[in-house]
Amino acid sequence: MIKIWSMKKNEEAAAKRKPKTSAAQIRVQKDLTELDLPSTMVTHFPNPADLLNFTLTITPDEGMYKGGAFIFSFVINMNYPHEPPKVKCTQTIYHPNVDLEGNVCLNILREDWKPVLNLNSVMVGLQYLFLEPNADDPLNKDAAEELRRNREQFIYNVKHSMRGGYVKGVQYANVLT
Amino acid sequence: MATTDAPITNGINYPDWEDRYYHVDQVLDNPGPRTDPDSFMAGDGVKNFLRNQCKILVIGAGGLGCEILANLALSGFKDIHVIDMDTIDISNLNRQFLFRSKDVGQPKATVAAEYIMKRVPGVKVTPYYGKIQDKDDDYYMQFNLVICGLDSVEARRWINATLVNLVDPENPESLKPLIDGGTEGFKGQARVILPTITSCYECSLDMLNKPTTFPICTIANTPRLPEHCIEWASVLEWPKVKGDMKLDTDDPEHIQWLYSVALERAQEFKIEGVTWSLTQGVVKNIIPAIASTNAIIAASCCNEAFKIATSSAAYLNNYFMLIGTESVYSHTFEHEKRNDCPVCGGESLEVSISESWTVERLIEMLVEKQDIQIKKPSLSTPTKQIYFQAPPQLEVATRPNLEKKVSELVPDGGDVTVTATTLPFSLSLRITYT
Amino acid sequence: MVSNGSQDIKAEMATSEVQPDNKTRRYDRQLRLWAATGQSALESARVLVIGASATATSILKNLVLPGIGHITLLDHCVVSPADAGNNFFFEGSSIGRNRAEEAVYRLAELNDSVQARADTRDVADVLASDQSYFFGFSLIITHNIAPVLLKRLADLLWSNPSSPPLIPVRSAGFLAEFFVQFHTHEIIESHTEDSTSLRIDKPFPALLQAARELKFDAMDTTDHGHIPYVYILVRALDDWKTAHDGLPPQTYAEKQEFKSLLNAQKRTLDEENFDEAVAQSYRAWTPTITPPHLVELFADTTIPSTPFGHLLAALQSFSRRPPHVLPLSVTLPDMKSDTESYVRLQNLYRTQAAEEREQFRALLRVPVQNELVDLFVKNAHGVQLLKGACYGALDATPEKLTAHLGSLTRETATHLAFFALDAWRSSPPRQSGGPTDSELREHIVSLVPSVELDEKEISDAVGEIIRAPTADLPNVAAFLGGIVAQEAIKMITRQYIPVNGYCVIDLVDTWTGVLPS
Repeated sequence: MIKIWSMKKNEEAAAKRKPKTSAAQIRVQKDLTELDLPSTMVTHFPNPADLLNFTLTITPDEGMYKGGAFIFSFVINMNYPHEPPKVKCTQTIYHPNVDLEGNVCLNILREDWKPVLNLNSVMVGLQYLFLEPNADDPLNKDAAEELRRNREQFIYNVKHSMRGGYVKGVQYANVLT
Repeated sequence: MATTDAPITNGINYPDWEDRYYHVDQVLDNPGPRTDPDSFMAGDGVKNFLRNQCKILVIGAGGLGCEILANLALSGFKDIHVIDMDTIDISNLNRQFLFRSKDVGQPKATVAAEYIMKRVPGVKVTPYYGKIQDKDDDYYMQFNLVICGLDSVEARRWINATLVNLVDPENPESLKPLIDGGTEGFKGQARVILPTITSCYECSLDMLNKPTTFPICTIANTPRLPEHCIEWASVLEWPKVKGDMKLDTDDPEHIQWLYSVALERAQEFKIEGVTWSLTQGVVKNIIPAIASTNAIIAASCCNEAFKIATSSAAYLNNYFMLIGTESVYSHTFEHEKRNDCPVCGGESLEVSISESWTVERLIEMLVEKQDIQIKKPSLSTPTKQIYFQAPPQLEVATRPNLEKKVSELVPDGGDVTVTATTLPFSLSLRITYT
Repeated sequence: MVSNGSQDIKAEMATSEVQPDNKTRRYDRQLRLWAATGQSALESARVLVIGASATATSILKNLVLPGIGHITLLDHCVVSPADAGNNFFFEGSSIGRNRAEEAVYRLAELNDSVQARADTRDVADVLASDQSYFFGFSLIITHNIAPVLLKRLADLLWSNPSSPPLIPVRSAGFLAEFFVQFHTHEIIESHTEDSTSLRIDKPFPALLQAARELKFDAMDTTDHGHIPYVYILVRALDDWKTAHDGLPPQTYAEKQEFKSLLNAQKRTLDEENFDEAVAQSYRAWTPTITPPHLVELFADTTIPSTPFGHLLAALQSFSRRPPHVLPLSVTLPDMKSDTESYVRLQNLYRTQAAEEREQFRALLRVPVQNELVDLFVKNAHGVQLLKGACYGALDATPEKLTAHLGSLTRETATHLAFFALDAWRSSPPRQSGGPTDSELREHIVSLVPSVELDEKEISDAVGEIIRAPTADLPNVAAFLGGIVAQEAIKMITRQYIPVNGYCVIDLVDTWTGVLPS
């Protein structure tokens, strides 16, 4: 064999043995412990020992979704941050960018994800959806259509849906705090 | 890691016929101009190590793996292990030349191992049909070299991190060269990773091509390409219609369902081009693969393994990439190690403290340390959190640990991972007690 | 954006309604590269390989697996104990039997659909008495055959322009080189990654009209955010030209101004389609022209009288007429748009492309098969006609070698070492034992007498050759098996672009390089 070990001894700063923690796990620890969230966002870990599965509750303090508590599930796999976290809304909500299955249309969750982004960027992006719902690239077409055509009606629908009411035959979850 | 005097454990007792290694021996009996005279033991010394002592692990028995196994066996490696969790599919037969139609459905590792042993007598190939994650450090510790022919980023990251973590400054045998190959169509790359010495797989993660993904609102709303219709079927319709049933992209019935759903949507939107094969290609993220590129890259990997095991010639430092679409273009270069690499970069510290120290005291010590400049550190062991600065729930949950003795949470010689905004990535502490 | 690969699959597999048949499934991973056209070319090919070495059988393995039509392996020797040790296609029991027969028997097992034949004659005899034999193949590959025989074969094939291409492969220890000999090589599907023109600068009437008719101001924000960037650019350029004497943005300042005009049209900061327009704005000032390699080809008077030559002539006539462009490609990249606008735009391009294809067809002086015309037009911007050279021609031109020594030092040094090894093998009397350093250097100096050689590169190459002059190392054989088969596939399928000259390989420092002939 080549004498690798002698090369190693020549290394100026010989690296020391490193702990058996996966890169994904360390990265999640780093992301989580450096979260800088406003009071409108709270994370919850059903099992505090498991950092890879948790929820985020967003309670907007302004805009048309004020008064609601919106819960998103985060699932992170061992290929993080090569792959983005999988995020879904756990409630049926009336929002142009969230469909009835809880899929969320947020570019950094799919096509624009990069390993330099982190959990904080995803959470901030989610919160932004409640302040500025985007009617132009919708997942819930009815909601988007309403927002475009009649903002007043849309706001009414939002309020109604947040109380657990029906909009166009769909019953939404009661998300009032 | 020169040759050791470890007893021969593989029990191989097959006599080599005269001139069996006529070709290989030409480079084992004489040094070349680029051979390091200090480590090359020309003649019997190197042959004995290669043929009687060296133990090599091949990860993957697919497109690259089949080639790698054959090359190693012919080069004179006689104790080869192979791991693969897959079974043989008909679409493997255009390049995985150790398999025949009759083998479809059988484990790749087992069939490949048997074939090699039949064709190259005296070589022992030990197959393991399962996941690399099933094996522990002791298993990986037994090999001199590891060659990787995988198509999964996740598996590569795992083995890379495992081999980096295996390196023990007290034990030269713990440093296992990792040779990694990969191909895509007419393109491929081979690289040599000397864990903790050269750039590792994680260091180059940002060089990877990302699989194509489409905005979910495009899929839901404004499909333009057949791929958009296929993703609509697989990402949105499948979970909606099939509920919790898991999509199995190897199941023809599942592909058929996606194909019909995608086709219907494409017709609704007047989009052309949804086919069975495209559907399969999109949902399985199929990468074109041909025998010739695999042969080139597998040969490069084995050639590096041979040179490293025998010291018969200089070896690749450390990255070889090849593009065969327009003439033959290749580039050999040294990929730089990254200081902020989460696997091989970052600082490590040996910390010797009293058994009576509390976690709080340890944190104070870290914050006060002039040379590392840590603010608000969060600490964990490989299995549990010690103290997290955030988020609030975890801070509250770990706060009681501040009062506890470090020695209650970390064994003597145990490792602690420290993260903080002020660190490029993380810091490892090795705790010993005085 | 979609890769070219998926476009090809779409075209090739457009009819598949159910799970593909077993053959398509077997070849699935390669059909995604060279499609049905490439596969059928492979299946019609007949390849002759001379010498059943480890390298030769590795090359064959990589041609048999993807389903080449026919292979013949020509070798009169018997399997030696050394052969049985380094060749995967021999076993212990092969020793003493004919090399071609033993190897072909095991190669054939890899793929039932390949016709495989062993020819146990001596290539020297075939060259002496049966020269027409070689013309029955579509490609010939040799490995380490006697230099004098190789020269005779290469000259024989070169003497007739319609001969099959020849790939002589040489290797010794960690070093290798191979050459691709052909007179001309026609490529329609070059798979070039250069993007095709969308004619933004020269919009066809229907496109210009459609762009002009759009009422941006009357659109709601959703529609405005989904205008395909092609329309945005065509319109912006049209307006710009009206204000600038019919000229596109030319100076850096003008280009920046053009971009800021695009940005000024945005309704919101993050309108992606306008961002795309800005990113693609180079299309507005990059003139759609005939690619330089085609201009060069058109200027060449020796365009062959083949269907490809007729197509090339028609392409030249087409590009000479205003607006001096190649026929339009139908492939429209993906872009931010609603479905309806995108499909409409795609149809505009399709209709125009079909029209131009008919105009092109009318320019053909000799009729050509319809499918070939379609394929040619679709790939027009990437078609190539390579002119090759005869094996050995470079060594007969010392001034070229000298020039190469300056710019491609290590490649040339390695090539010279192989030249010297061949010269040594051919020069009587052969001493017992291998060549020496000084013997090989003498041959090199006699070839390029007046050149100061790079001592390190020469001794690196010569040193490796004298170390292992006859070694066919398993890994080097496998490497060559891959890389030579790849060139063979490119030659046979006429897809992608093969090496034109020598490919030189050093597996000590692990590099490859190309020495143009």
